[in-house]
Amino acid sequence: MAETDAQGYVLLTALALPLLAAAALLAMPGDRPMAARRLSAVTGAVLLGLSIYVFLAYRAGGEVLQMQLRWPWIEHVGFLGENGIALRLGVDGISALLTLLTGVVAFAGTLVAWKLEYRARDFFILFWVLIAGVYGTFFSLDLFFFFFFYELAVVPLYLLIGIWGSTRKEYGAMKLTLMLVGGSVGIWIGIFAVVHEAGLGTFDLPALWEAGRSGALSPDFQKAIFPFFAVGCGVLAGLWPLHTWSPDGHMSAPTSVSMVHAGVLMKLGAFGIIRLGIQILPEGAAFWMPALLVLGTIGALYGAIAALTQRDFKLISGYSSVSHMGYVLIGLATLNEIGVSGAALQMFSHGVMTALVFLLIGALYDQAHTRDLRDFGGVARVMPLWVVAYVVAGLANVGLPGLSGFTAEFHIFVGTFRTYPIFGGLAILAAAIAAAYMLRMFATVFFGPLNPRWRELRDLSPIEIAAAVLLIASMLVMGLWWAPFTDRLAQTVLSLPGVTG
Amino acid sequence: MAEHAWILAAVPAIAFLALAALGRRLPRQGDFLAVLAAASGFGLFFAVLASFLGRGEGAWPVLNAIEWTAIGDFRLNMGIAVDQITIVMLAVVTTVAFMVNVFSVGYMKGEPRYWWYFAVLQLFVASMLLLVLADNLLLLYVAWELVGLSSFLLIGHYWERRSAVEAAKKAFITTRVGDVGLLIGIILLWKATGTFNILDIIHAVEAGEVGGTGLFVSVMFIFLGAMGKSAQLPFHVWLPDAMEGPTPVSALIHAATMVVAGVYLVARLLPVFEAAGDALLVVTAVGLITALFSGVVAFAQTDIKKVLAYSTVSQLGFMFVALGAGVVSAGMFHLFTHAFFKALLFLGAGSVILGAHHRQEVGQLGGLWRRMPVTAAAFLVGSLALAGLFPLAGFWSKDEILHAVEGHRGALVFALISLASIMTAFYTTRLFILTFLGKPRDAEAGHARETGASMTGPLVFLAVLSVFAGFVVYGGVGEALGFPGGFGEFVYLHHPETFHIDWGLAGVSTALFVIGVFGAGWLYRGGRLDRAAALTAWQPKLYEMTRRKFYFDDLYQFLIDRVVLGFSYVVSWFDRFAVNDTGVDGSATLTGYAGFLLKHLQTGRVPNYALAIAAGVAALILVALAAGG
Repeated sequence: MAETDAQGYVLLTALALPLLAAAALLAMPGDRPMAARRLSAVTGAVLLGLSIYVFLAYRAGGEVLQMQLRWPWIEHVGFLGENGIALRLGVDGISALLTLLTGVVAFAGTLVAWKLEYRARDFFILFWVLIAGVYGTFFSLDLFFFFFFYELAVVPLYLLIGIWGSTRKEYGAMKLTLMLVGGSVGIWIGIFAVVHEAGLGTFDLPALWEAGRSGALSPDFQKAIFPFFAVGCGVLAGLWPLHTWSPDGHMSAPTSVSMVHAGVLMKLGAFGIIRLGIQILPEGAAFWMPALLVLGTIGALYGAIAALTQRDFKLISGYSSVSHMGYVLIGLATLNEIGVSGAALQMFSHGVMTALVFLLIGALYDQAHTRDLRDFGGVARVMPLWVVAYVVAGLANVGLPGLSGFTAEFHIFVGTFRTYPIFGGLAILAAAIAAAYMLRMFATVFFGPLNPRWRELRDLSPIEIAAAVLLIASMLVMGLWWAPFTDRLAQTVLSLPGVTG
Repeated sequence: MAEHAWILAAVPAIAFLALAALGRRLPRQGDFLAVLAAASGFGLFFAVLASFLGRGEGAWPVLNAIEWTAIGDFRLNMGIAVDQITIVMLAVVTTVAFMVNVFSVGYMKGEPRYWWYFAVLQLFVASMLLLVLADNLLLLYVAWELVGLSSFLLIGHYWERRSAVEAAKKAFITTRVGDVGLLIGIILLWKATGTFNILDIIHAVEAGEVGGTGLFVSVMFIFLGAMGKSAQLPFHVWLPDAMEGPTPVSALIHAATMVVAGVYLVARLLPVFEAAGDALLVVTAVGLITALFSGVVAFAQTDIKKVLAYSTVSQLGFMFVALGAGVVSAGMFHLFTHAFFKALLFLGAGSVILGAHHRQEVGQLGGLWRRMPVTAAAFLVGSLALAGLFPLAGFWSKDEILHAVEGHRGALVFALISLASIMTAFYTTRLFILTFLGKPRDAEAGHARETGASMTGPLVFLAVLSVFAGFVVYGGVGEALGFPGGFGEFVYLHHPETFHIDWGLAGVSTALFVIGVFGAGWLYRGGRLDRAAALTAWQPKLYEMTRRKFYFDDLYQFLIDRVVLGFSYVVSWFDRFAVNDTGVDGSATLTGYAGFLLKHLQTGRVPNYALAIAAGVAALILVALAAGG
């Protein structure tokens, strides 16, 4: 059994801090929004620091699981034996990268939520609970806690959208919650089936991974259960055709929730497919991956094509997210090290890029109160910084070299070509369509003569600029020098069962 | 120095960062920084050249290769390489970039976002130099996309103008379609050879490790990228529209450097193309069709820049024809000479536009010879070089192309490329006559004034190059300059070729020049339009078709509006109504309705419940009996 590592307490801190912040906010009076904002900004900054630490301290080429910590909880009760349920934390290369993503996006999200006036304290309480759930999911090496934190991350969304949202918020919030909870039911069934079938009396993930790898879970069982995990987590990852909560959910969600939601939460789904699907059920994964490849490719093309004629900024980003998460699924489905690494890179890349896009949409919508592309024109004259930031995000979306999108997509394309050349070609085609919908939006909104109605628009505020710079810097680092990312991923990806060189 | 040639790209890159960050606050908005960077690039090129020539007969030096990333056996090494083809490209890029930067100081004076213009210009130069220095296809692709981005930004420089925005968008998306092919081709070649390194790929192909249909398919995908960037049919539509950008940009990017990236790519990979079945035949065919097509379309264009744009498309076709004949020196030589005289013509056009107060329709110009003598003289030199007058630069390179085609592609191709040569001479003469001879057809053109020294200086410099650059074809000239011999002995694929003038071919070439020039001279004698008008009236439909560029743009617009966007509307509709409203909301409604039906069971009356319990018990007993019996 892995001992507790001193660095494991870093993970514990990162997990506990948002919960403590939520508790502290709960104890604060509700009529002092500034105090809530300050507390949240400090929490976000510390979490960003911890996340950067986790990512940098993760040693490339060392053990796959690092920074472990184990606190036994329930043992020798009922069918539970030794190590029944324990708070076991640790990170591998993929979750270290996603931890970094969470730190970046959560901090940017807190900064953006600064201007929120309505019940700011309550907003931040839910926000931090959600973030704690995200960290918990990435850190958990125990199936019970994995699911617990997964749900903890999803449930606050309903309130965050329902209370602070806009356009058709009740509908968007309800649909999103029902679809995600529906997916969770599948995961829950799968979890019980796996724990029962393995018969180890434990929820310990590494033990279950070993069971899947060694054949303690029979191939037929794996093939039968894999869809529960793939579809259950796939809902959150925007798996086609279960993606429709995404465009509507984004349209309704407030800015910082959209950022965290598209930026981080959708990654929980893809991460779940790796943690539960590929790692516990390698045989099942190998069997079902071609189907996931097809769905991912459909999603990539379908999202891009649908985005071509959307008129609402958020719908464009919603569909573009479907398209980009399709790439993640394609990368995972290749089951080779380049493709799976590309999928992990794409999770990060899409996370920071989408967070930036939603930040910018929010900055415009707060002033203009419309998101219809055709209402705009020539905005570059009044909001030059906003336009520059949007162009950078859009070009990352299109896969322009030098920005993170290219790094990720390039690995996915190469990985896909290695196994399925035709799908590789289709994936690249989707990237060309991305250029079309992005440039169409640039041309309509940013350039051309200025619509006099918008002469009064203000450019980004200093706080928004700070958040945007953080996100753009992340995109540039991954786009220009990606060895620190791939080095940390390589070992982990190769350790995944069924992943070939 | 050659091993540190990356400095050439680093200088403009730093200038870009400096200008983008500080340009607006610097005195003169930092234009001196841009000129300084371009001048040092031009100077550093000679250092690289001297060091390269000092090595003697050397293989392709692989330099500064650093491991970029490695996942298992998937390794990426980034590095630069300098060989003869690179040297030619470096000469073209640094020279034209220097001239264009100087010219822009005068041309762009007082224009909006002056500093940003210079910043992006440096970004372009840096990316273009990176493109020609890259030793592997991945880095080449990175630079390939970055030049596309700079081109997009510069075409759309006047973004308040709708047409400029549309043109920028069109250029980016059209070339992007070709780039899909390029990326697929690069990855397919990687799959076959296991490397992105250009030299390793060539070695693998020459050793026969890859070949057959697979290689042909990969090469065709790569060629798609080359066609997009070099505006070959059917991707040519973006280049004429790109003339919306500031004119110096047209000279640098859309005449001399970026658009020849496709030619460069094919020249670079020519051994691979050679080994790939009929790939070179496709290259010739595409080049030939493009050369003829755009030669015809150039007749009927009335915007001075659009005539030059179609001329560029046509000349790029010539280069592909030469490469398709397998003669790398002929293609690269035409690229080299064309860069100078076409940049000259574009800068000359810029000078005309500025001098004639933003008139650029030939119908509004005329008679500028007297008012703008330096520009007119320089433009005349450029025109004659383009038309192929002995012994200007264009004559020699066209002669090499004719020679290559005659030797490798047979009589039909020779006849057709000769026809395209006549067209070149024809539209060039027409353009010159309409712009500079006769009487001004517009009051503004009548008040035209010669432009300042920062503009005429580069014109004169490029005019000198347009006269003399062709002589490097001779071994003696090359040796005097320190090269191992003439152009064909410096840039070659298998064996160096010493140039000997073929008087018969030179005679044919001169005859083509004479036919074209005198044809146009007769039609537009003294700048009069009556004969041309009569010709138009004689065949109005044909004229209309040519003027409308054979409806390519209309066809594409139709396809985009009706097919691509139509498909998108269908998908969006399907997503809304089938997936969401029926699938998702439908199942929600169904659940709700089921709840509505079931709620009637919840009556609240005890007798009803008691009855249900009794029925349940009875049913269980029956089941138990049935199972037990």
